[in-house]
Amino acid sequence: MTAVDPETRIPDPIDVDAAEEARLRAAAGLGPPALAPALGSEYAGFELVGVPDRPPQTEREREMYTLEEGEMLLNMGPQHPSTHGVMRLVVKLRGEVVTDLDPVLGYLHRGIEKLCENATYTTVLTYVDPMDYLASMHNEHAPAIAFEKLFGIQAPRRAEYIRALVVELNRVFSHGLMIGFLALDMGGLTPILYSFINRDDVVELLASISGQRMLFNFFRVGGVNWDVNDEFLSRLGKWHGTVLKSIGDNEKLITENEIFKGRTQDMGILNAEQAISYGVTGPNLRASGVPFDVRKAHPYSIYDELEFDVITQQRGDVYARYLQRIAELKQSLHLIDQIMDKMPPGPVQAQVPGIIRPKPGRAYGAVESPRGLYSVYAISDGGPTPYRFRMRDPSFITLQVMPLLMPSHLIADTMAIMASLDPVMGGVDK
Amino acid sequence: MRLLVERFPETARDLWTDEDTVEVQIPRGSVVETLRTLRDDPQFSFFMLADAAAVDYGVGNHFEVVYHLYSDKHPAWLRVRVPVERANPRTPSVTSLWTGAMFHEREMYDMMGIVFEGNRDLRRIYMSPDYRSFPQRKDFLLPDDAADSSAAGVNPLERPETWDLTTFSKELTSSAATYPPLDTQVDVPAEAYPHGQESADKSRPA
Repeated sequence: MTAVDPETRIPDPIDVDAAEEARLRAAAGLGPPALAPALGSEYAGFELVGVPDRPPQTEREREMYTLEEGEMLLNMGPQHPSTHGVMRLVVKLRGEVVTDLDPVLGYLHRGIEKLCENATYTTVLTYVDPMDYLASMHNEHAPAIAFEKLFGIQAPRRAEYIRALVVELNRVFSHGLMIGFLALDMGGLTPILYSFINRDDVVELLASISGQRMLFNFFRVGGVNWDVNDEFLSRLGKWHGTVLKSIGDNEKLITENEIFKGRTQDMGILNAEQAISYGVTGPNLRASGVPFDVRKAHPYSIYDELEFDVITQQRGDVYARYLQRIAELKQSLHLIDQIMDKMPPGPVQAQVPGIIRPKPGRAYGAVESPRGLYSVYAISDGGPTPYRFRMRDPSFITLQVMPLLMPSHLIADTMAIMASLDPVMGGVDK
Repeated sequence: MRLLVERFPETARDLWTDEDTVEVQIPRGSVVETLRTLRDDPQFSFFMLADAAAVDYGVGNHFEVVYHLYSDKHPAWLRVRVPVERANPRTPSVTSLWTGAMFHEREMYDMMGIVFEGNRDLRRIYMSPDYRSFPQRKDFLLPDDAADSSAAGVNPLERPETWDLTTFSKELTSSAATYPPLDTQVDVPAEAYPHGQESADKSRPA
């Protein structure tokens, strides 16, 4: 074991801050900072859950974990039904009103970026599937685009149409599930059942073209794995006849529901400037009135040949985010119609060698996933594996707005706000 | 691209472009000013930070922080590359421009050990707070790589160079823990672990 050279050691800002703080406090004649409030007799015997048993590492952490009179900390998670995965929220409460909030991530961290640096280009497309498990097709689409740029090949036009078809189908069930979970988190059990019926139809449909129900492994560098088959087409026709009814059932239950509107309107308002500054993308950004959609901004695949508008809402609250999902869901059905009409004949896979060794270079591939801008930055050094493989997952970035949106709301409403942002922890923790 | 050359003649180097990305390299010192101009100037209007990522070019080389920006006035993504020394991995934070850079920077600090000056919440985000390595660096070896390592007895999972040994030994002496003793070899080579089959056999009743 080599000794650490103080010159080359990574300077740890944390230690510097703590030492500086200790010095300042000593100069001012103060004791160590109060991390947790002194336990009064009524709390004797209880442990304060959530307060870290170490000095605060940053300014923000000190602010969050220093309690004033009448405030308390509450731990939600990591196992909590409404966190849509494994995540811990430390909530600072005054009575029943949230005053501050600290998301603690990493319970599902698998190091997929590092794994992908040790996998061949073909294998990477299988590793990214379980990341955002409600948008596996989109997860595969962005690396496929980036790798094709690196390799300098183009997928055949029919393959591009099939790609657009499957990602729009994926978007339909992802948005459908979000609507169901939003209602579920506010106590309405029925909509999630309709959502899951619709979702099951779509995954069976995608299984008939790719072979798997959830982790599709359908995209290839330079094309897709299979062409559309008879079973897929007959299922698609049958599904198309029923999907509008199943969405309509949900809409009838939710959209004009007084309780739903009372609990979602003017709740968790995110304005356009805040949304852009916080890096929010996708339906959440468009619900705040910013018309940014990667399919229009930087058209990939065949989206420049399809007709569609960028839908926006104005209010930016939970209800607007719900309406945005409904509108985009119907738009996706419209896009699926156009794709099926225009789909050209031809091959679905370009000629690609078994082991892909692109020239050294860099490429950026971005797609519009159901949760926003999902992008991949890949660097090749000429070898059979990517030198660096970076994924930008939209739900990870979107989670940052929670400490902005949730304060001043009741604790029960935090779940509605959380569900309206529609994060998927598999993608957040990578 | 021409606009970039005109406006940043001294800072913009290595301009390069592919089908939908324009790439530019700027020095670390001018990151905040350059990105602020790119964001606020109506000619550029790169108002959205699409991505911020860190790249490790290996031991003896440098790190790089890469920003991808989006503008509604230009038909390409803008990629801004900022080299960062490996010996002193510090670079200014851009959280003053985009609040949403916070999680990007926390992730880069956690995975690569790059310190963003001015970020007021630079904590680890994925790994636990007492974790001492930076897993996405190229000298962080996976168990599979241990056989290729030239360093004898390298810990297959963590590089001791990145540990703060002062704190580490303090932790050891303050607790009853005796693992791992500092003066002996910390790591057991991968071959020394009992074979999976053997241990399974032992657990079976005779």
